[in-house]
Amino acid sequence: MNAARQAMTWVAGAALIAAALLNVLAVLGRHTGLPLKGAIEVIQLAVLIAGSLALIAATLAHSHARVHLLLDRLSDAPRDWAERVCTALSMLLYLLLLAGSVWLAVDLWDAQEVSELVGVPWRFMRLFLNLSLVVILILLARQLVERRQP
Amino acid sequence: MTWATPGTGLIGLVILFALLLGGVPIGVSLGLVGIGGLVVALGFEAAIIKGGVVIVETLTRYELGTLPLFMLMAHLFFSANASRDLFDAAAKLMGHRRGGLAYASVAGCAGFGSINGSSLATAATIGLVALPEMRQRGYSDALATGTVAAGGTLGQMLPPSGALIVYGIIAEQSIGKLFTATLIPGISQMLFYCLVVWLLVRWKPSIAPVGERASWGERGRAMLRIADMLLLLGVVLGGIVLGWFSPSEASSIGTAGALLITAWRRRLTKEVLFRAFSETLRTSGLIFLVIIGALSFSIFISVTGITEAVGSGVTELGMGTIPTLLVVAAILLLLGSVLDGLALMLLTTPILLPVVEGVGMSPIWFGIFITRAMEIGFVHPPLGMNLYVIQGVAKDVPLGRIFRGVLPFLASDLVHLLLLILFPAMALWLPSMFGQ
Repeated sequence: MNAARQAMTWVAGAALIAAALLNVLAVLGRHTGLPLKGAIEVIQLAVLIAGSLALIAATLAHSHARVHLLLDRLSDAPRDWAERVCTALSMLLYLLLLAGSVWLAVDLWDAQEVSELVGVPWRFMRLFLNLSLVVILILLARQLVERRQP
Repeated sequence: MTWATPGTGLIGLVILFALLLGGVPIGVSLGLVGIGGLVVALGFEAAIIKGGVVIVETLTRYELGTLPLFMLMAHLFFSANASRDLFDAAAKLMGHRRGGLAYASVAGCAGFGSINGSSLATAATIGLVALPEMRQRGYSDALATGTVAAGGTLGQMLPPSGALIVYGIIAEQSIGKLFTATLIPGISQMLFYCLVVWLLVRWKPSIAPVGERASWGERGRAMLRIADMLLLLGVVLGGIVLGWFSPSEASSIGTAGALLITAWRRRLTKEVLFRAFSETLRTSGLIFLVIIGALSFSIFISVTGITEAVGSGVTELGMGTIPTLLVVAAILLLLGSVLDGLALMLLTTPILLPVVEGVGMSPIWFGIFITRAMEIGFVHPPLGMNLYVIQGVAKDVPLGRIFRGVLPFLASDLVHLLLLILFPAMALWLPSMFGQ
């Protein structure tokens, strides 16, 4: 698990650095009359990879932006229940998003959709996103059943 | 029978409010109410496909890269000891004046806020450096903690602000224009805090003893230590304002520059890079989910027509611009007592933005206004997240004393918010100056 988490972090980090460097080259190119065509399409690809992996990283770290006003006032047992309900609701949302994303991917699979300038194959990127959503669902299912620290 | 009515939108809002208060993650609450509401309003198939479109389109948005890249820049700078260096430089310049370290804390918060764009992180990071120093030099606990808790809110008001990036994405507004628009409100907020410190130390000089004057050599060395960061920030922000590059490109230039600076300072190790990646991913992951949820929610809200209903209701009241904006401010401050900043912004933007536009205000102004209003929620109970952050740093100072310390700053915040309503040019003049 740790090795997978580390690999994921390096891949996402590399995607971000690649996006940054490509953007810098694009800016330099634009200002020196040597525009870098298709940079935006490759950056979109890097953003999708980093973004999908970021959603997994946030799930792994139990990192959620939430309102603590009531939750922090609960005692251990009700709080544990509340946490499980929150996890179940998170699963439901990701399931709905996965259903929609798979629906689109299946519909467009044969369309051989590629980006305009450098030909990024979008069907494989959709596949990558859908696999990431499946991983998130598995992680949430594990969090739902695992014993919590008092 | 159609369910796409303002009544459905209202029920959705009530459910959303209940879920948020119940502690359900903000992104999950928004997304479930959004897609669930669309199921009711449009039917299952259309709602599911909309959800799919939202997640795919969000994660392939070119502008989305702005957020993680600015975060990566901040984490790299953090590893390069930016917070300590920024505070030190400000302290060397102003520390000999009465209340000088409090001014330095405000300046340090503004400087670090310009790097990381988060109120909590700014308060925590500058707090770690500034609080021990101020307390050691005999500053009163209330002044020391109040200054940093309030100063932390500058994080979201100075570009690159995470809140403004999120607002730009969900309200479909130019992030560059928002960054330019927030410069005067952000800087004037900082000056207001300095004015509060000045008034407090004139009223009660004992709360902030005078410190030793640093030599010009020491000041020069301290300034040299931050010169590289200031230069990079100047290029990043200046480039956006002057239109040399877009915010996404600016975030890339910032990240590349931060990598170089961290390497130049011999702090770029494998561990530092891994930690920076890891933190960037964790934080951006949670914000991405919030954005996906917020976009689904705003589609649902627009489908129900509740925004038009509220807008025409407000128009029928015929209150005029200023009273309407005062009511909007009151709603935001009231909700800010129970909802955290991001939730407040995402819950209210789809409803209040059309109302505000209806009375002739621009969405850019509203972005600055709502960010300013949500920042006030960071320093007033019962939520007041910055107060808890500061108590985490200064554990022996009771929460009540921290709140008493922040009260004068809170008063100045309310005056500042009122000025933003009365003089919208505070936010709108600079973008128009630069032809944005």
